[in-house]
Amino acid sequence: MRREIGCNRIDHEVSRRSFVAGSAAGAAAVGGLLTPAQAEAVKSGQKRILQVFLQGGVSQFESWDPKPGTKYGGPFRSIPTSVPGTHISELLPHTAQRMHLLSIVRSVDLKTNDHRIGRLRLEKGRTTGEFPYVGAVASKYLAPPNPPLPGYLHITTRGLEDNTNAFLGAQHAQLKLLGVNAPENLARPAGINEEAAQRRNEFRRLANERFAGRGGQPAFTEAFDSSFEMARRLMKRKSLFEQEPSAKDVERYGSHPFGVRCILARELLNNGATCVKVTHHGYDTHAENFNFHLEQLDEFDKTFCMLLDDLHDSGMLESTLVLVYSEFGRTPKLNQRYGRDHWGASFSVALGGCGIVPGAVVGSTNADGTEVAKREVRGGHLFHTYFRALGLDTSANHDITGRPVPIGDPAAAPIEELLA
Amino acid sequence: MPARRLHTIVVLTSMLIAGARFGAPTEGADFTVPPAPPLPTSIAPAAVDQSESQIGSLHDEIDRLVSAATPDFDTLAAPVSSDEEFIRRVYLDLSGTIPTSEQARTFLKDSSPAKREALIDRLLSSPQHARRMQYVFDEMLMERRVGTDVPNAEWETWLRDSFRDNKPWDQLVTEILSADGADEKLRPAAKFYLDRKFDIDLVTRDIGRVFLGVDLECAQCHDHPNIDDYLQRHYYGISAFLKRSYVFTDSKSKKKMLGEKAEGDVKFTSVFTAEEGQTDPRVMNLPGIPDPEAAKELYIAKPAGKVRGIPTYSRRMQFAKAMITADNVDFRTNIVNRLWALMMGRGLVEPLDIRHSENAPSHPEVLKLLADEFLAHKYDVRWLIHELALTTTYQRSSAAPSDSDQATKAVDAFACGLLKPLSPEQFAWSSVVATGFTTVTMRAQEAALQKAEPETAAAKQTDPLWREESLHKGLKSEVDLVVTRFAGQGGQKTSFEATADQALFQINGPNVEKWLKPQDGVLTDRLQKLDSPAEVAEELYIAVLSRLPTVDETANVTEYLDSVSDRPTAIREMTWALLSCAEFRFNH
Amino acid sequence: MTDLAEDKSMSDPQTGNRPAPPPLPENPIDVTQTHVVAEFKHDIPLTTCRIDPTGQFVFAGAEDFHVYRWSLSGDDSSKTIFAGHQSWVRSLDFSRDGNLVFTAGYDHQIGVWNAADASPKPIRMIDAHKGWVRWVRVSPDGKLLASCGNDNLIKLWSIPDGKLQQEFVGHKRYPYAAVFHPDGKRLASFDLMGVIKDWDIETGKELRSIEAKFMWGFDQKFRADMGGARDMRFSEDGKTLIVAGLTEVTNAFAGVHKPMLLLVDWEKFEHRHKWKDDAYKGMAWGVCEHPDGFLVASGAPQGGNKGMLWFLKPGEEKPFHSVQLSHCARGLDITPDKRQLAVPQFDGKLCVYQMTAPLNISGTARTS
Repeated sequence: MRREIGCNRIDHEVSRRSFVAGSAAGAAAVGGLLTPAQAEAVKSGQKRILQVFLQGGVSQFESWDPKPGTKYGGPFRSIPTSVPGTHISELLPHTAQRMHLLSIVRSVDLKTNDHRIGRLRLEKGRTTGEFPYVGAVASKYLAPPNPPLPGYLHITTRGLEDNTNAFLGAQHAQLKLLGVNAPENLARPAGINEEAAQRRNEFRRLANERFAGRGGQPAFTEAFDSSFEMARRLMKRKSLFEQEPSAKDVERYGSHPFGVRCILARELLNNGATCVKVTHHGYDTHAENFNFHLEQLDEFDKTFCMLLDDLHDSGMLESTLVLVYSEFGRTPKLNQRYGRDHWGASFSVALGGCGIVPGAVVGSTNADGTEVAKREVRGGHLFHTYFRALGLDTSANHDITGRPVPIGDPAAAPIEELLA
Repeated sequence: MPARRLHTIVVLTSMLIAGARFGAPTEGADFTVPPAPPLPTSIAPAAVDQSESQIGSLHDEIDRLVSAATPDFDTLAAPVSSDEEFIRRVYLDLSGTIPTSEQARTFLKDSSPAKREALIDRLLSSPQHARRMQYVFDEMLMERRVGTDVPNAEWETWLRDSFRDNKPWDQLVTEILSADGADEKLRPAAKFYLDRKFDIDLVTRDIGRVFLGVDLECAQCHDHPNIDDYLQRHYYGISAFLKRSYVFTDSKSKKKMLGEKAEGDVKFTSVFTAEEGQTDPRVMNLPGIPDPEAAKELYIAKPAGKVRGIPTYSRRMQFAKAMITADNVDFRTNIVNRLWALMMGRGLVEPLDIRHSENAPSHPEVLKLLADEFLAHKYDVRWLIHELALTTTYQRSSAAPSDSDQATKAVDAFACGLLKPLSPEQFAWSSVVATGFTTVTMRAQEAALQKAEPETAAAKQTDPLWREESLHKGLKSEVDLVVTRFAGQGGQKTSFEATADQALFQINGPNVEKWLKPQDGVLTDRLQKLDSPAEVAEELYIAVLSRLPTVDETANVTEYLDSVSDRPTAIREMTWALLSCAEFRFNH
Repeated sequence: MTDLAEDKSMSDPQTGNRPAPPPLPENPIDVTQTHVVAEFKHDIPLTTCRIDPTGQFVFAGAEDFHVYRWSLSGDDSSKTIFAGHQSWVRSLDFSRDGNLVFTAGYDHQIGVWNAADASPKPIRMIDAHKGWVRWVRVSPDGKLLASCGNDNLIKLWSIPDGKLQQEFVGHKRYPYAAVFHPDGKRLASFDLMGVIKDWDIETGKELRSIEAKFMWGFDQKFRADMGGARDMRFSEDGKTLIVAGLTEVTNAFAGVHKPMLLLVDWEKFEHRHKWKDDAYKGMAWGVCEHPDGFLVASGAPQGGNKGMLWFLKPGEEKPFHSVQLSHCARGLDITPDKRQLAVPQFDGKLCVYQMTAPLNISGTARTS
């Protein structure tokens, strides 16, 4: 398969700069801002993804596509952002100040109101069938040959079991981290020191070598080996999970679970993770939609912005695709419990960073937000857009034997106007 | 298949395996001369009416067809497995766990020429086999779905009893598809429907996948875009059997059950062509089943708030009949493919639930033969497994040609044994059997029995059924824990997943530690009591890998014992290493 | 504008209300005969309602950001719009004389209006809180306005100039309601977590604090708090604080909980009585005290439209009467003569109920 390495082509740089040049910050960014981390990232060509998954379905009205004063607009007001002409909900004041780093797609229609199907359609970029998740595809094609960490890490509270890697190897499956807890069993049992661990592992390796000599299905034995290798790498990085976040970080990110998870996400990205997904739970607001969005987005807004700032300041945003998404949005109509129900027909996704035109708004919904008015976007379009932005040719086939499977849904295409 | 030639190969290979491959044989002459392989013999349970069967013995015919399907089969073909390979494989496949060290030693010592078939028969009639099938069919039918409307324990008992009684597959499926949850006797069978919340689309799709081997999901909204065989009317034909049924909560027992209305048709519109369609209940391409002339009374019990609807004519009750009819080739083709995959490591059609003309079986004649014979033998699951276990195809060594292209060809041709990742349950049970932790549990169960019923304990504890069930009860939480960790995805699959957290469980987890802790009767304790390094090596390899160590391996063990000052530590470490190696992780 | 003076000269606004009907024989209070006497329609869900101290008007907030006024003796044509807020108004109150109406907006503002204007315009919009203003109440002496909001503060404003007088700091989560004690010296507040505080108005100090945790739930699965008062009043004798809300939250995000009324013994500052309806999943949205010694509460169900009026005696487990509403209630108020109830509803209707047997004399039925 063909792989475009890098998304730092000159023409992209130029267009991005000219876009941002309107602001003083953008002008200052031209030249000389490469930090060592960024320089390293550009040099290595490694691209990353940060997924912030607002689980349950954040309301588009209370976030990216406010409609104050309309029939279903709800009680919250909209506020101006750092991008002239773009307004978002008053619940996202910090994000509003950083809107020039992000773009919004306001016209997503997933044609489902089901949590699982909505999630699958966004993660797989396919309407149905067994396909790998965004994170697994990233792990497979963006991670370096010997990644220091498993390629696809998911920091979450609850485990929704999915076959995230589909036909890609098991080493590309999501590794779930329950909150900021280290993966279970990361510490050696008492009584087994480094020397003993190495010794017994050497004995195991020898046995594996003999067995692999029997041939036949190397994919099986290799997958098995790689799971132990990933375990070993995680154990080596145990300190990542153990270090207490600094007081300054806690002050900036917040001491709530989402805050400390985002600190961990940053550390994982800094330490060579390819795709880190952080789930923020609690958006399935069938009752008290407004009170709950007040609480949830208050947590999300500042914390997410601190993470965005850190990526931006270290220069890593240039090589990190940032996605903020839910499995669907919420109904325009309020139910009698002040709730909004499931709504996949017209909602928003925000994205930015690597390869994405910043400050753009793609598509729109009609005046009451009940349907897409312009530029309908489905999961497949977003999936193509993500990976094209990361420099992957999504029309190419997956690198697997047996059958040709296009990476992106052939029935969809990237959102060209978002590609820097 | 010419038996004589096969025999020769077997002897040669056994020597190869025992000698060249793993080094020279160790002491213990019992094991150095491989016993003669079993000559395939026909078995035909007396109860089966053979009049419809077209062949003499199924296993011979399978071998003939498998061999004939690939031109250079003979050059690819691996020899028949050694006894060591065979016993581990057949124990795992039929009883769900590796043999104990004692069982392995007994079998390897046995010089009877018919010992393989005898073992197959013994395992098939053991309580462990019913448990194994319970696990397999639970996964196949419920796909590790979490549901609570029918408690797992009731469902598992029903499955286990069904397989202990060797309930024919058509009967088992009839019970599942006809269960409404109201009939207490068949309530467990209603789990298939009820724990899918009787979501009509989910149930329709899963019936297609699980019982027919076709995934009609896309056909819900339009004729399948890529698969010409899957039509929207197939989907709605199945759904029409069920469309009138609904979940009813009994006001007294609060139990969920199915009620049914007397009216309601399915209509569908293609999202592509906007063509409207309508169908009677039907299974795939079989004729539709129109409703009979409406009876005077539409209902036996008219649906109301507190009344579960029972129509005079029930469409749902026609479903099982339509499913198991001999005209429904898909029904038997699906299950024989699934049982083949279970035994051989890969379906003749893969994936198991996507069979259509463009995803044709690798060995169509074999698939047809299995389906035909399964029908002739009245859907006798145990008979089919018995026949499959007797084939040379099943019994071949998993040592593949060293050239990787040839090896791939051999795997595709079923010319060598395929690696089968242990299911989570197999892995859990094999771990506790290998480490001898089962003896600790069994001892505790026996002690508890002694205490509870001192009079009858002695007799009861020799009952194999009691032993199996007590051991299972005692180890349930251990097994569940492993299953949670290792069962990433539900459904019968032949692919392999290995994740870092599974490896971490193995490397650092407290359970493995616990199993390795020396206490009376467990492997590490037994090994500590052995004098010579060779004895340690032999018992270690027999217990964990069901085979004798090679000379090299014995040497490695000796070195290990020499290099580590603390003997118990060395023993624990080596045991861990073998429990954690690929040879243990796969059924090979 | 004077504060306490009874302004008898209030002009008769051009709001469609008829001249006061001649006095008629009145049926005695009999809640079992409670019946609808008026239904005012609006096309957007209502958020709250209050009846002014003169008993002439009923005011309701709506999800279209406006407050509406109807004449209790009028019909739909008496509807007058109070436009000025940029978000929902969930609480309102009146000056003692009823001349001024104060509105608490989710647009962070308090609106001050002439209650009787024919074409109302805000006299003043006060930037009151950072975040929603959830509640406003006028002090017994009419000189102070209390508000609380999403900045966790309770604030006191002087009437009529709207100057900030005092800030009460102490709630850690959103205070949902704050009400003056009839003695005018103290203020009670109730927050999201079920924390009840007693404040000294003079000093701004927190005097006492107790918890009503059962009126709050933390949904483990969704990691979110649900609770707070939906209505709160003192009994006229000042001995009891009455709170309406919810209890037994089993699923916050689906709104699965039961309605609850809590009666707090103000002197001892402890729970005196808790009432919940086990057979009814939903929320208690409003509560009023009746001088005949019973409480009236309004509620909304989790699903369906069976809004409810409960009539119950403090201390008793079961209501002695209940009336099913045409839809979900969002509040409740009682007329100064204590004969009628106003209920704002989710379907946009504002329904007026009379707690007596219907009168058959022509001219008394306003439903015509």
